[in-house]
Amino acid sequence: MSWIMHHSKSEEYASQAQAALKQGNEKSAVEFYRLAAKEEELAITKLDQSKTRTLGITAVSATSLWFKAHDLWQAEHVAHQWLATDLLPTFSINQLQIILQAIWNEKNYQQVGIEFMKGEVLVSVGGGIVVPGGAPLDLILRKVDEVRGLFYRTIEYLLNLPLRKRGVPSADIQEQFRPWLLQAPLGSYQFAVRVQKPAQLSIFPDKTPEVEDVTQNFLKIVEATAEETHEELERIVPNPEYREAFLKLTRNLSPTGKSFDRVEIKSTTDIEARPIIFSPTSRQAINKTLKENKKPPKEVAEFKEEQLNGVLRALHLDKDWIEISFPGTDRENIKINQTGDIIDDLVGPMVNHRVIVDVFVQPDGKYLFRDIQSEE
Amino acid sequence: MTIPLLPLNDLAKRHPGLTPALAESYLEAARVCLDRHHKPPQEFTLKNRASEQQALVEWESPGERSRRAWANINDATRDGAYACALAATELSLGLFAIRRAETLTGADYYIAPSNNLIIDLEDCLRLEVSGTNLDIYEVQRRLNIKVKQAQEGKSNLPALAAVVGFKVKLISMRSVEGIS
Repeated sequence: MSWIMHHSKSEEYASQAQAALKQGNEKSAVEFYRLAAKEEELAITKLDQSKTRTLGITAVSATSLWFKAHDLWQAEHVAHQWLATDLLPTFSINQLQIILQAIWNEKNYQQVGIEFMKGEVLVSVGGGIVVPGGAPLDLILRKVDEVRGLFYRTIEYLLNLPLRKRGVPSADIQEQFRPWLLQAPLGSYQFAVRVQKPAQLSIFPDKTPEVEDVTQNFLKIVEATAEETHEELERIVPNPEYREAFLKLTRNLSPTGKSFDRVEIKSTTDIEARPIIFSPTSRQAINKTLKENKKPPKEVAEFKEEQLNGVLRALHLDKDWIEISFPGTDRENIKINQTGDIIDDLVGPMVNHRVIVDVFVQPDGKYLFRDIQSEE
Repeated sequence: MTIPLLPLNDLAKRHPGLTPALAESYLEAARVCLDRHHKPPQEFTLKNRASEQQALVEWESPGERSRRAWANINDATRDGAYACALAATELSLGLFAIRRAETLTGADYYIAPSNNLIIDLEDCLRLEVSGTNLDIYEVQRRLNIKVKQAQEGKSNLPALAAVVGFKVKLISMRSVEGIS
């Protein structure tokens, strides 16, 4: 049999595998990919090695097919076998190296028994005090915390859960959908996030397709919050409470321009996806939308509006108050009441950090809460 | 002058690199993507560096079942773009999907005139396909990415890049020379 005959058989099996995957039959898909990989390996043996382009394409194809058949050992073996020759064109050397990296990552995850859901998100923080590959620890910890919060909110939204205002996500959600922080290539400062595959996705039977694609849904929502106007967000998140929560969470993620000036979020699995960029302008756009959506009640129309810049020193959301201090000044701490609609995971990362708080000041000097955002 | 029809139907009969099942699946995805923005029929612009032509796109509206099956917008856009891009290369350039080869995240299609006797991939063009539901700027941006990748030698080119803009009714194609 010739290269073309083995390759044709491989194509046929690979197409069947793709069709099986589409029908949700992963077991059958893996078996078809295994058959396709075997045929592709046979195809290479029948090829005149002076046909370097065909050789390179087929070597990449065989390695990819073993990878898709979940036979990592064989995939690695084929990649090394051909990389060790000087027969391959540059493009296929590059591709085989990328597949090898994916194989090694997958092996590491398998060794510790971890499976991830589809997709990966790369978050880059840049500008200001952030240097290539380095950033202040507290800044990055906060960004990681905010991204984790957004992931959990996305999952809760996809599961049609009522908006959580207090506490952490339920034990079920935390157990089943655990976000992971992964190393990312050197950039301004970057980290990658993936969500671990739930052990029992079946406990959310009605929402399986949406939740399976949590990373993509996360990106869609985050992208819609970064737009200049928020019509698209209204379309994809019709629930106004969730919409407000997403806007406030991404506002915190956005820079003010003081210590850094750019946050980029993008999919690493879809290389063509447009990066979502948050700049100080994005924060202003989000503030505008939030302000428009939240007109002050009539009874406080005569109260004075004020913006406080300080440090969030204390809070007791169950008792409806937060306290702001003003380090480096003589000004006394201010207690702000009626924090009713603040949500925990929004305000939690702000404790002991600089914040901007919009308040109403009553004629008797008491402060009523209106809005809070981080000042980073 | 009659506007030619974009040959979306029965792709597998003319494109040996597609199986009937896969061609049907791509067509179904294309229907879902087209129906998201338009009502049939619609005129699409098929553009490449040298020329521009109009093509009439006709499709049957997908049923609820198809829409549910293609609820993942990314998968639908990617596979629907394959159907439209292959139909466009057939209509505009007389090129057909001859073979496919796997990559880490999907598969590449190799195109050539259909009367060629194909015994290897040395003279085939690789078809680089991308689909988007966004604006013209995004179609152009994606095409530029493909060209840049080719110039950096990251792809197994020479290739033909095709970007399908479902919303803006544009299929933009450009041939790119590779470094291999």
